[in-house]
Amino acid sequence: MFFGYVASALASDGTAHAWWTWLLALFAVSFAIGIIAVIAGVGGGVLFVPIVGSFFPFHLDFVRGAGLLFALAGTLAAGPMLLRNRMASLRLAVPLALAGSIASFAGAVVGLSLRTDIVQVALGATVIAIAVLIWRTKDASAAGIVESDALGAMLRLRGKFEDPVEGVAIDWRTRRTLGGFAAFAGIGFLGGVFGLGAGFANVPALNLLMAAPLKLAVGTSGLIISIVNSSAAWVYIHRGALLPALAVPAILGVMLGSRIGARLLARTPTAVVRRLVIAVMLVAGTRALLRGLGVWP
Amino acid sequence: MTPDEALQEAYARWLDAGTRLAFAATLLAFLLYAGGVVPSFVPLEALPDLWGLPVDQYLERTGAPAGWGWLHLIVFSDYASLACIALIGLVTVLCYLAILPTLLRLGDRLQVSLVIAQAVVLLLAASGVLAGVH
Repeated sequence: MFFGYVASALASDGTAHAWWTWLLALFAVSFAIGIIAVIAGVGGGVLFVPIVGSFFPFHLDFVRGAGLLFALAGTLAAGPMLLRNRMASLRLAVPLALAGSIASFAGAVVGLSLRTDIVQVALGATVIAIAVLIWRTKDASAAGIVESDALGAMLRLRGKFEDPVEGVAIDWRTRRTLGGFAAFAGIGFLGGVFGLGAGFANVPALNLLMAAPLKLAVGTSGLIISIVNSSAAWVYIHRGALLPALAVPAILGVMLGSRIGARLLARTPTAVVRRLVIAVMLVAGTRALLRGLGVWP
Repeated sequence: MTPDEALQEAYARWLDAGTRLAFAATLLAFLLYAGGVVPSFVPLEALPDLWGLPVDQYLERTGAPAGWGWLHLIVFSDYASLACIALIGLVTVLCYLAILPTLLRLGDRLQVSLVIAQAVVLLLAASGVLAGVH
């Protein structure tokens, strides 16, 4: 947000045509978001799209295209480390990502057909709602081990998660697996419409709904985003809504930032990061909402 | 190491290699683009007047193509950058195809079906057939 503010200030000083200042500011914002997004398990797009869409001069079509690539690149970069450290479960990600990627593709097609002000208002309202959701989300896995449901047992969605910080091992298995599929389809659709990573909703869906341990939910959410966004990104590429000049600084920034974030994930207090994310989302969401309504153009 | 862990390790290996390759190619292409080493289809200096437009107007003003039409413009540095970005979009499908033989050997039919279905979805998305390009 700070860099968005700086970028706005530069524009008001009459240097709006210096393309490189915008791209430099975009890189810096993306780097900062990349670090905190992995730790908070929010994908990054949910911060990137409202911040860049509200405080930079780029049209929302291109911001959403860059946002999808942004979340995709960040999670791809963090993926190997998350998988090797067992902070993500491929077995858990595969079926849920399939539902999410089909819906995300559909969402991207719909999103690019809507009027910009409608998308802007819906984006602002969604981001504010997500901030409230993250604020109210609590870790359900601490309540104890749950029984697998039939679908979860059939897909063998279970495992052993070792938390290096807490020093405990959790034998986990999923419950409400069918509900989980529906949730990931809905989340994927919204992600495609708004160009978000949708980790904001993946984590509570995995943790609260399906009872995966919180840190495993955060890591697996990143892996799911890397799969889901791959399908929606192609819609933006084929529609011409992906400008390399915007996407590449964002991708480079988030890839570097997310590698640092993945290293910090195991030993960072997620509560602190979560509060920071909520505050930023409330400001950026309000800005997007007011911009869409024409109150704060 | 359990079969699941071995599979996860294999996926991580391909993901790491694919991401590094796509990342390096994207960085190189962008340096050629931003540095002005190779000419771009839409000059960088013109972008501040264009990036605030909706995508349809942008395409109209610049004459830029939709769909796979950009492949013909790959000699320009902005579209060479786009091609490298497209590689990023292919990393996941590469990982899925890479773990498929191991899954088949393990005889995990349900997981095999899911992985094949996901690969088909990703390849279909990449083809542009259903992207609604006019």
